[in-house]
Amino acid sequence: MTTTTETYRPPPLPSLFATTTPPPTLLTQGAEAHLYKTVFLDASTPAALKIRPSKPYRHPILDRRLTRQRVLHEARCLVKLIREGVNVPAVLAMDWEGQNGESGQGGSWILMEWIDGAPVRVALERWEAWLAKNKGLAEQNTPQYQEGTTRVRDLLRRVGQTVGALHKAGVIHGDLTTSNLMLRPWKADAEVALEAGECPSVDGDIVLIDFGLAGQSASDEDRAVDLYVLERAFGSTHPRTEPLFPEVLQGYRESYKGAAGALKKLEEVRMRGRKRSMLG
Amino acid sequence: MIAIGLESSANKVGVGIILHPDNGDTPQVLANVRHTYVAPPGEGFLPKDTARHHRYWVVKLVKKALQEARVSVKDVDCICYTKGPGMGAPLQSAAITARMLSLLWSKELVGVNHCVGHIEMGRAVTGALNPVVLYVSGGNTQVIAYSSQRYRIFGETLDMAVGNCLDRFARTLRISNDPAPGYNIEQLAKKGKRLVDLPYTVKGMDISMSGILAAIDSLAVSYGLDREAKEGEGDDVPTLDAEGNPNPTRADLCFSLQETVYSMLVEITERAMAHVGSKQVLIVGGVGCNERLQEMMGIMARDRGGSVFATDERYCIDNGIMIAQAGLLAYKAGFRTPLSESTCTQRFRTDDVFVGWRD
Amino acid sequence: MASLETLHISHLPASLPVHVALYRDVQNAPFLRQQLLSGNKDFEYALIDASVVFSRTHALVAVFRAVNDYLNNRLKSRNVHSEIVFSLSPANNIADSFRKFGLTDSTKDLLIIKVSLTPDITHESVEAHLQEHIQGTPVPFDDEILSTIRDVAKIKKVYKLGSLPSSTTKEANGTLSDGDRQLEKCLLGAIALRGAT
Repeated sequence: MTTTTETYRPPPLPSLFATTTPPPTLLTQGAEAHLYKTVFLDASTPAALKIRPSKPYRHPILDRRLTRQRVLHEARCLVKLIREGVNVPAVLAMDWEGQNGESGQGGSWILMEWIDGAPVRVALERWEAWLAKNKGLAEQNTPQYQEGTTRVRDLLRRVGQTVGALHKAGVIHGDLTTSNLMLRPWKADAEVALEAGECPSVDGDIVLIDFGLAGQSASDEDRAVDLYVLERAFGSTHPRTEPLFPEVLQGYRESYKGAAGALKKLEEVRMRGRKRSMLG
Repeated sequence: MIAIGLESSANKVGVGIILHPDNGDTPQVLANVRHTYVAPPGEGFLPKDTARHHRYWVVKLVKKALQEARVSVKDVDCICYTKGPGMGAPLQSAAITARMLSLLWSKELVGVNHCVGHIEMGRAVTGALNPVVLYVSGGNTQVIAYSSQRYRIFGETLDMAVGNCLDRFARTLRISNDPAPGYNIEQLAKKGKRLVDLPYTVKGMDISMSGILAAIDSLAVSYGLDREAKEGEGDDVPTLDAEGNPNPTRADLCFSLQETVYSMLVEITERAMAHVGSKQVLIVGGVGCNERLQEMMGIMARDRGGSVFATDERYCIDNGIMIAQAGLLAYKAGFRTPLSESTCTQRFRTDDVFVGWRD
Repeated sequence: MASLETLHISHLPASLPVHVALYRDVQNAPFLRQQLLSGNKDFEYALIDASVVFSRTHALVAVFRAVNDYLNNRLKSRNVHSEIVFSLSPANNIADSFRKFGLTDSTKDLLIIKVSLTPDITHESVEAHLQEHIQGTPVPFDDEILSTIRDVAKIKKVYKLGSLPSSTTKEANGTLSDGDRQLEKCLLGAIALRGAT
């Protein structure tokens, strides 16, 4: 009793973007949304296009309700955060109706400000690769190594501060990983060639992205779970940087008044984990 | 090698006998027999009555299975039983029987996690190699993916199992529990057309059912459907409200409940697939028999360029053969349950099992 | 004197070019408003009081939204041009949006936008028509000029953004300061979300 099927075809773009030249380039394809790189207003302004395609497995009424609800929810969070001065991409334009609801084509979309740089994940991977390649420098605790570590500590503080600013604004991200934290370089030409032995740059502002699972909450529990998810992501993705994770919490602690409560709750969440026991 | 499996964690008592050919060929089901305790309409199965039913049937089923399999006791290598999770009193029926047989026949025991039993049988029957598993039954709702010798739970229900929610709504509508409340809801839902608004409660990869049940129950009450259907009263013929507009029918409510809840299941399954990069889904557990759920999952998998694997009611619904299958895999990997530890437990997480038989 | 700009906004159909002109010291605002009120088809423009236009992007985002709604048959007002004025508004009241963003009798700085819905509306035809009927000084439609026209306090009030830190620093050559950029992003967000329920 199996059904196997033909090869994958991405859903058609909403008609507004179907004739865009050059066509938007697909960056990532999640379960819920497809992220494209495209432009906005003129060809020289890059933008991110997040499309929530309609889901043909769902009843059309339910599908329209959910896609609309979610795309609006995400946009509202972003707009609120921009107003509060938190580093997130701005909403440039959106369409929550999908087009011609009946056809089921396309789905809802948000055009967002393009964030330069790379995810923090990439920056940390580079740093960890550098560490692995230059074991000697670490063992001898050379000035390069010390400087590199200081810079990474500083990066982690900025991560903590940015998450703090987010929570201060009353928003929970819901999916904090180092892939959803962008490092927007301070200098436009961050990709400078590295001198031998010099560790890669981790300079830049932290910008939070992907608010698909975000919610509004100011409870210590929700904030703590947000931090816990990030901590776990560090553990699994950046084992060599994990020992420095307390820097994130320190940056967080200093960023707003309610931080202490959330950090206290974090200890509880760590103890119990996400595990629940269950009845059969 | 041959294993006998005993299952009694809920309202079914089942005995299965499986053969793993020495040459490594695919496992053969030699026998798979079962008996179901059916509660009267409007009632759930109570642990005490269910356990009594299982005790009455279990020996008969063991004899029947051995007969069907045409194997004698000396051919059996080990005795596998459901250790948990499940309802306490019913679970004990299989555990006690297994212990007795172990002493009587001098065979070793293997305690099996019920959920792992479903997964391993599903894999064996469908040939799905490394699927994301949706395990959805009266007692469990989990999205599972295998990683470094554990079946890891990616998402699950935060309160009530999906099957439990359907069963309870069947009770509200006083639908028959024969052959199963969920089956009867599915048949009614086929006649439903109108989608009523229900809460849709997906939280990341987890879901919550209690708000949905409360909402649909109160709808049933407000349309006067929380009673046995009257003679000659169609399930899909609407009553009219004060302004003469049709009210949702029993069929519409069943339809809406299925559409909403199954959408949630497909959504969290898709999220897990995207997360682990898998293109296969395996649906196991009693609710996995539902054709609409299978259809929706199939559309999702197709759009991801993947495929869905499901089993029929012989394996979807609780059975003894799946316990024999998972137990024999563990037995061959060296796992034993000493008599002194051959207990059963209501709580037993899928990810507590060390999966020594997979890479 | 040619200052009518014709542009193709990314993603919008190539068949719908957008013509934009900015005028200062407009002398005949009452006359223009009269044409709008009487529904004179020849004067089907989006006529916007430029003092509430923060930047070029601000105005073009409203055009983008209005044209997308037009393409999807979702116009809330009479036509795509009135919709552009309405699209500038963060609120759902159409009449109110015209009072706040539209041309008034006392408007001195005027932003005029025309979408070519039919092929006979060309850069040349629009230019000629404006030259004939707008009594004012055409100036380039750019952020440097707009920054000398705009009334930031008024814009913040209309968009209920009074609490935003105000930036008084003027950057050279019309580029936006950080505070300006944040304000602009808030305006775009408000335009995008207008009417969401």
